[in-house]
Amino acid sequence: MNLLNHPDLIDRLAAAYALGTLRGGARRRFETLAREHPSVRAAALTWQGRMQGLTELQPAADPPPAVWARIQNTLAVERDGAALERQRQAPARQASDGWAAAWWRGLGLAGTAAAVVAVIAIGVNRQERAELRAQVAALQTQLAATPRVEYVAVLVDEKAAASMLMTVDGQRGQLTLKRVGGYREADDRSLQLWALPPGGAPRSLGVLGRDAVLRLPADAQALREVPAVAISLEPLGGVPSERGPTGPVLFSGSVIGTPS
Amino acid sequence: MTPEDDAALIALIDRVAARDEAALRALYDRTARRLYGLALRVTSQPEWAEDALQEAFVTIWRIAGDYRASLSPPMAWLGLVVRSRSLDLLRRRAADRTALTQPLDDLLADTLAGDDADPMDNASASELAQALHLCLNRLDRKQREVVSLAYLRDLSHGDLAAQLALPLGTVKTWIRRGLEQLRACMARYA
Repeated sequence: MNLLNHPDLIDRLAAAYALGTLRGGARRRFETLAREHPSVRAAALTWQGRMQGLTELQPAADPPPAVWARIQNTLAVERDGAALERQRQAPARQASDGWAAAWWRGLGLAGTAAAVVAVIAIGVNRQERAELRAQVAALQTQLAATPRVEYVAVLVDEKAAASMLMTVDGQRGQLTLKRVGGYREADDRSLQLWALPPGGAPRSLGVLGRDAVLRLPADAQALREVPAVAISLEPLGGVPSERGPTGPVLFSGSVIGTPS
Repeated sequence: MTPEDDAALIALIDRVAARDEAALRALYDRTARRLYGLALRVTSQPEWAEDALQEAFVTIWRIAGDYRASLSPPMAWLGLVVRSRSLDLLRRRAADRTALTQPLDDLLADTLAGDDADPMDNASASELAQALHLCLNRLDRKQREVVSLAYLRDLSHGDLAAQLALPLGTVKTWIRRGLEQLRACMARYA
């Protein structure tokens, strides 16, 4: 039987195709037919358009306000990533940008030997970025249930695997840094946490001990202006804040406000 | 949905394509209720629907520039993004089958009980969707429900039978009859 002589049958197949219930071999044969014959293709497109209407006919419901806050945060994470990328790739601005730019540029020049140095999610592929965003979103949801937490940052390594979780409790003025990855520094080294204010010098927030959790006094107000934090590998005990980080950056992440 | 409403949404999508975050917010304010309702229907879990809505708007932020080439009514295009993000989410959570089927059972108790027309407010739907709405309302409620779920959740006959705890033959019959009536009815709105 030549299907093309049976427009009614074509229409029936097109409807089932668009609905999604035409499956397996029958679906593939219909697709082949549609590629070869415009009339079949037209029937398929007509039904796809009609079925699409189903998405408009569902009962409306109010989403919780936190959803918009999460959308904004996701966009902010992308913006910060892009901004840091620009900062890192702008050698002409190096002199005027002082510390921060020189530091970022230095990281860039460190070359392949220091490829462990990755900034935010730059250089990680789309899939990993999507996973990172999903992690951030999941943590935001979790943290939304804990109203005292004002800021959160997921610090990731060069593979975009979450390695540290930072939360800032504005009410109690406390910063908590929790190791979630398996990274352990050598005995003669310390990890140091840095705030990265835009256009300014990195500012030391503290040096990590060997415990899984580090608690530091923190000024939530001051962190409001800081889009990102990073952790560098330093000599045992860390380095003075004025000197800025001297070792490679192992982990970094955007500071994100939790939905209120 | 009036042509003016469509034009306003299209203008917002164009501004979103030009990286205007205020336009994304305005688009969200206008459409989030409807799109969240859709995500809720596809995922059947508020938590997942929230995630899907969030991912959908981030996607819209990225691909708004592709909208015009789709030649779709704006709500249909937005609906398609939300449906596909919701389906992605469902697939990622597919391991958790019990969580998925439980609310479906509740939903079915309501749905398969009556035969009344769907009281849905469709004032904001496109012309095509309104025609579809009229035609769907001529089906038995259970046929309408099975056809809607097949599309919205991208389910095969077998998936539907399993999720709705109905015999496969029954699902196939409902779908076949539902589609036949829908074809006859929609032919008038060609």
